[in-house]
Amino acid sequence: MDNWVIAMMLGASIFLGAVALFAFLWAIKNGQFDDEEKFLNAAKFDGEEELNDAAAQERKRKELQRKRTMPE
Amino acid sequence: MSEKIKCSHCHLEFNKSVMIEDGEHYFCCNGCQGVFHLLSDQGLESFYKKAGDVKLTPPTKQYEDSSNFNAPAFYDRFVKTNKEGFNEVSLIIEGIHCSACVWLNEKALHKMDGVIEANINFTNNKATIVWADDVVKLSQIIDMIRAIGYNAYPYDASIQEAHANKERKEYYLRMAVALFATMNIMWIAVAQYAGYFTGITQDVKTILNIAEWTLATPVLFYSGWVFFRGAYYGMKNKVVNMDLLVATGATSTYLYSIYITFAQAGEAYFDSVSMIVTFVLIGKFLEVLSKKSVADTLDVISKQIPSEVNVVQEGKVVSVKLSEVRSGDVVVVSSGEKVLFDGEILQGGGSFDESNLTGESDPIYKGVGDTIISGTTSIDADVRFRATKDFAHSTLATLVNLLESALNKKPKIEQMANRLSEHFSSVILALAFVTFALWWLWPHSFETAFMVGISVIIIACPCALALATPVATLVGLSLGASRGILFKEAAQLETMATIDTLVLDKTGTITIGKPEVVQMHSLKSFDPALLYALVQSSKHPVARGVGAYIKEHYEIDAHEDFESYKQIPACGIEAQKGGKTFLGGNAKLLGMYAISGDFSSENTLFYFVEEKEIVAIFELQDGIKPHAKEIIANIAKRGIEVVMLTGDNAKSAQRIAHEAGIENYRYEQTPENKAAFVEELHAKGKKVVMVGDGVNDILALANADIGIVMGSGSDIAIEVSDVVLMDSSLKSLEDAFKISRTTFGLVKQNLGISLVYNAITIPLAMAGYVIPLVAAISMSVSSLLVVGNSMRIRLQWKKN
Repeated sequence: MDNWVIAMMLGASIFLGAVALFAFLWAIKNGQFDDEEKFLNAAKFDGEEELNDAAAQERKRKELQRKRTMPE
Repeated sequence: MSEKIKCSHCHLEFNKSVMIEDGEHYFCCNGCQGVFHLLSDQGLESFYKKAGDVKLTPPTKQYEDSSNFNAPAFYDRFVKTNKEGFNEVSLIIEGIHCSACVWLNEKALHKMDGVIEANINFTNNKATIVWADDVVKLSQIIDMIRAIGYNAYPYDASIQEAHANKERKEYYLRMAVALFATMNIMWIAVAQYAGYFTGITQDVKTILNIAEWTLATPVLFYSGWVFFRGAYYGMKNKVVNMDLLVATGATSTYLYSIYITFAQAGEAYFDSVSMIVTFVLIGKFLEVLSKKSVADTLDVISKQIPSEVNVVQEGKVVSVKLSEVRSGDVVVVSSGEKVLFDGEILQGGGSFDESNLTGESDPIYKGVGDTIISGTTSIDADVRFRATKDFAHSTLATLVNLLESALNKKPKIEQMANRLSEHFSSVILALAFVTFALWWLWPHSFETAFMVGISVIIIACPCALALATPVATLVGLSLGASRGILFKEAAQLETMATIDTLVLDKTGTITIGKPEVVQMHSLKSFDPALLYALVQSSKHPVARGVGAYIKEHYEIDAHEDFESYKQIPACGIEAQKGGKTFLGGNAKLLGMYAISGDFSSENTLFYFVEEKEIVAIFELQDGIKPHAKEIIANIAKRGIEVVMLTGDNAKSAQRIAHEAGIENYRYEQTPENKAAFVEELHAKGKKVVMVGDGVNDILALANADIGIVMGSGSDIAIEVSDVVLMDSSLKSLEDAFKISRTTFGLVKQNLGISLVYNAITIPLAMAGYVIPLVAAISMSVSSLLVVGNSMRIRLQWKKN
């Protein structure tokens, strides 16, 4: 086996792992695991509606922020 | 018609006849109907599908005006402005029963313009709401929560609480990175070790080293940052601590391994670097997890103090901040409210609960001209009083200050591991340096000498030492928790094991706390149903004791009722029926009605009087808890001195002390006396456990090395204490002693194991015999030994 193959496989798998790790870190920082009850319920029941709701909320935040930085 | 039907909103069942009919729906009240229609209009009906059959609290309409929430004083105290310039408030939502309630609240708030974030924690019902104040006002948000059938009130999300959460979260992040990297390094290390035995080309080895290097870097500098920080603060205070040892060990190993990687010869130790950091970080996290700060305790206490009071100004009642009330102002207190100022009653009257200050649980009646004391609670009194002191000088503030200083002064026995590690760290660093010097002076290359020196640090690297205490205390905490004994802080297990004096409160701790009838003298025949109805009208413990006795010994078939009742505070009850006067109460009551009753007993007496004639006398006694004598004797056998303190009189103190087999007791003690007694013991060099249950014990609880409180005790006492006995039994108290001693023994054993281990491996390392395999095995075996030993103790306890 070529050394290059080992290096590439190691690199690729560490990179993929790191992507998952960063997603996990983001979720912790975001407070997604703060309330275990809610987080379990979200895993069970959340659907499209909740996703839309979260997106709408995000839009609202951005809009208000924009309004604040340049009034009219 | 008695068909039961469910309300469409709250799901409570009522008779159909009383329900409000609305199309196909039925409602128990207008409130429920209103909420139901509101939810339908907002398109939130799916709430009912989510809620299922959960019963909700019907909404009530009697809320104070929500515009209070827009007051600048309120904003000052509770509303924060976040980084983005939006406002943020922490609320506690009342009436949350299920996850559907959380969903509904969040959804309804999200629908409002200007609300940016509404996040409700299901477990503790605390909500964080972020909104743009120029679009929507807080009062409108509160109105919305009320409109859908819940209520919200603000709380001070204190800096301490936020800080503790932040620290914990930070540890989660650091541990996630450390665990991820270490687990991956392990895989690569398998290849390294396999190669060590079966042969591996230097090129492949270098590739593996570089991969490990990449992974070890974040572990050392991100996850291991806490050790660098700890080492820095340690050096600043001229203390060589465990953090310094971990930091130097890990960093020098890391640098050495980089050198090896470039030199393309020898073995790199990146796996050791990440393992040390990860293990010790986990140990540190376990300690952080079980820490409770004084500030948190005080926070809970001050949370119970409202920020505003109602004051009469120019004939009108207005809310004023506590700090703005001056002595001489007229303060309004309504029933159920806490009195926050000392003063003299100008108008009105009623009973007050003074148990916070005196420990006396009987309500005390106060009228015009009487003085009232801050810290007491109005039971049914609506009064106006003139404040004689401002808040800072009130009895309540003084009590809080006393408590604060007691908690801050609380003797902290330094943990054995910390003391040990200080010496250990210095010795190891010195040994490593000496080894390096000797090897270099005795003609060896710099590389060899450096590697041997480093190997001493790696081998000694105190994984086992760092884990010894946290693992042992974790075992102790879980043993306690499974028996209903909650230690609030791990370090207390160690402190409790070294205790030599046990101070017990009498009422509620040694005794059951509820008087029971021990003897009844029936002087004339009477109707037990009448007496039962009479005592039922009072909540006084004596009346309850008599009630329980009658219920047990007589069959009461007819439900009797009096035409009128009158509670005479601190005396008893007067009731009228069919023109006859019935009395139930103590000797004082007899005196008031000029009835002669020359009956004396050392027990508490309850007289039942019909038309000025005593018909029955009950003798009541507060009995001691089961097995009290036996358990107290067991505790004394461990070499612990047992003392009883009570606010009661000499007679009953003597009786209980005798029954429980306690020789040393003090009676007629005020809360301050109790605390002073604990101080006195401290002055004599004793280590004291105080066990109590009431607010009158809190000063003593806070002053003692360990404050233990019965689970049935008052909230504040539980907050101030270090250990809570959930089942309030003395058996748990004995178990708490046993567990603490076992745990302390375990800590010693674990420390012993890791020291012996080091004593064997360090000479090997100094002699230069440490090959990578030995280093790696030594690392994990010592840790495994410590963890295994702790598990052994746990299993032993489980069997019993």
